[in-house]
Amino acid sequence: MKLQMIGCSHHHSSVAVRERLAFGPGQVGPALDGLRQRFPRIEAVLLSTCNRVEIYTAVEDPELGPSHEEVVQFMADFHRLPMYEIFDELFERTGEDAVRHLFTVAASLDSMVVGEPQILAQVKQAYAMAKDRQSVGPLTHGIFQTAVRVAKRVATETTLHQRRVSIPSVAVGDFARQIFQRFDDKNILVIGAGEMGEETLRYLQSEGAHDVTVINRNFQRAEALAERWQGRAQTWEKLPEELTRADLVISTTGAGEPVVTLEAYKQIEAARYQRPLFILDLALPRDFEPAIGDRLGVYLYSIDDLQAACQKNLQRRDQELPAAIHIVEQETNRFMADLHHRATAPIIRRLKEGWQQPKEDELRRLFNKLPELDDKARAEIGQAFDRLVNKLLHPPLESLRSEAEKGPPHGLLEALKRLFQLKD
Amino acid sequence: MGSFISGISLTCFGASYAVAWALEWALFWRRDVRQILILGFVLAGWLAHTLYLGYRVVEYSASPLASSFDWCLVAAWLLIGAYLYLTCYFPQAALGLYMLPLDLALVAAATFADPEPFAIGPASRMWGAVHGISLLIGTLAVMVGFVAGLMYLLQAHRLKRKLPSQSGVRMPSLEWLEKVNSRVIILSALMVGIGFVAGIILNTIASGPSGELPWSDPVIWSSALMFAWLSVAATFNAVYRPSRRGRKVAYLTVASFGFLVVALAVLLLVNTEHGGQKHRAPATASHTRAAGPDGGRS
Repeated sequence: MKLQMIGCSHHHSSVAVRERLAFGPGQVGPALDGLRQRFPRIEAVLLSTCNRVEIYTAVEDPELGPSHEEVVQFMADFHRLPMYEIFDELFERTGEDAVRHLFTVAASLDSMVVGEPQILAQVKQAYAMAKDRQSVGPLTHGIFQTAVRVAKRVATETTLHQRRVSIPSVAVGDFARQIFQRFDDKNILVIGAGEMGEETLRYLQSEGAHDVTVINRNFQRAEALAERWQGRAQTWEKLPEELTRADLVISTTGAGEPVVTLEAYKQIEAARYQRPLFILDLALPRDFEPAIGDRLGVYLYSIDDLQAACQKNLQRRDQELPAAIHIVEQETNRFMADLHHRATAPIIRRLKEGWQQPKEDELRRLFNKLPELDDKARAEIGQAFDRLVNKLLHPPLESLRSEAEKGPPHGLLEALKRLFQLKD
Repeated sequence: MGSFISGISLTCFGASYAVAWALEWALFWRRDVRQILILGFVLAGWLAHTLYLGYRVVEYSASPLASSFDWCLVAAWLLIGAYLYLTCYFPQAALGLYMLPLDLALVAAATFADPEPFAIGPASRMWGAVHGISLLIGTLAVMVGFVAGLMYLLQAHRLKRKLPSQSGVRMPSLEWLEKVNSRVIILSALMVGIGFVAGIILNTIASGPSGELPWSDPVIWSSALMFAWLSVAATFNAVYRPSRRGRKVAYLTVASFGFLVVALAVLLLVNTEHGGQKHRAPATASHTRAAGPDGGRS
């Protein structure tokens, strides 16, 4: 059997190349159909995300599978690109390496941000699409179903996926959620219109936040941002009022000096009745005077604080990597052993059939010589013969199984064929 | 079956809770495995605890709040119930780290408590029940408030220092803890107040129309002190708006627990006429009482 993966990923190929080779949602199905038209006996799955484009093919008879060049040619033809332009961008994994690669990808160990959860959904989607197009078979069923299981094992047995590493996700997931139980009743104040502020808002909205107020020195920009987030815009002069009302502040102005000083904060402090205030100061230089963070009920986080938390999470995630890699390695070995053992099935079947006939002949002869035997005695003798055959077959079958764990047991299969004169 | 249940002792469920608490500290283990083991030990302990209390009720007619001994064990049983409920609500939070020691303290307190039933006549039975139940709820509220207050202070300290939470010792959000703190102050003041007044009525019934209230009794004055503190805290909480927020409310609940510890220590360890019987609480009691009529002392 032949199993191979040909594709490109963020490790070796630029975004420009990945964009040219990517298969959009509407293209995956036709691509699978096209591949099967060209190579009718193969099983195929196509995984296309923003970070990778990978074609997995599998075939029982290696002679009938496509070569590396043929898959590259297919991709070039599909995207109407000259083959020489993409040939060096694509890499290949075969056999056990292809299995290990898919398990690593599904477990998010090969992702740009290790541990990000989207990739597993994308792998499942690719497999589901291939199932819909009936381009999967026993080999790809096995490998993709195992890949999903491996990914779940990595997720449950390590804390790799629990560590957030982007500033907005850490700000919301690791800190804001530790302060507030819910966000749907919280007043979110956005000061400025920085990109990271928007990214943080996205996370907050996914947590249920909807009361968003935007303040900017440029009112039109505030209005535009407020419209995008279905919030309301306020003029710069309303900052003290809005700060009094706010529960969570995201500040991303480009101001050269703090927009909220300690003195300014003290003036609104009494009106807040020590209500907790979570301030994400994502601006450089900072928008809030650091001393504000010492006030009662104020939790002030600068971009450096969040960066430090991200770094710690990254370190902890790195500590979890060996355990995750160990799981992938263990599952790859198990999968390959199963695969190799499955390949011995026809020989085992023929071996058993080869012993069945002489057993039945001998039984018949014996029963003819001993006609006085009743049904019970005949059944006992039949079972004894069965046990004898099973016991005689056990050592060679056990040897086959243990040999399959190390790799394809070609030598042993050949020896069995010759010893027991098993014909193909 | 009966002999099996009668063989259950305080050590059985106390040890289960202690192992669960030790597992809360085993941070080197995977959280999911630890969680299953912790829940397993707590549930096993709670089952034994339930059978123990049930056996006392069925076999010896020792009503759940009939003595200081039973009262402590029912409080511990309810606290585990609260722990299990909150664990379902916050599966990621290490609540056992804070709640199980309180429960172990109550089980330990039971070994010092007197298992002799309070001397209550038929006329005062209803007031006895009100007294016992109210103080039980008030005590549990103060304990839950203490845990919530402690967690609030630790969580606020961590967030002020901008440290990410550790996966093994997560806590609920500040907002939730603040809400719990604020509510338990009112609840505990109310219940301890009802319990205290019911206690006075009980005393009046017991001593007759000419009798005087034994104000010098340590249990009475320590309970009065706790009630006074809770009333002040609840009033402060209602009148002064910032006291409902943040660390202030946490400090109030933590301080309330201090008063509760004093009241319980007085009840268990000091010479008292509480419960209508003159007795001195035992200084050394068996830690392996089975569910006999006197808590296995015989």
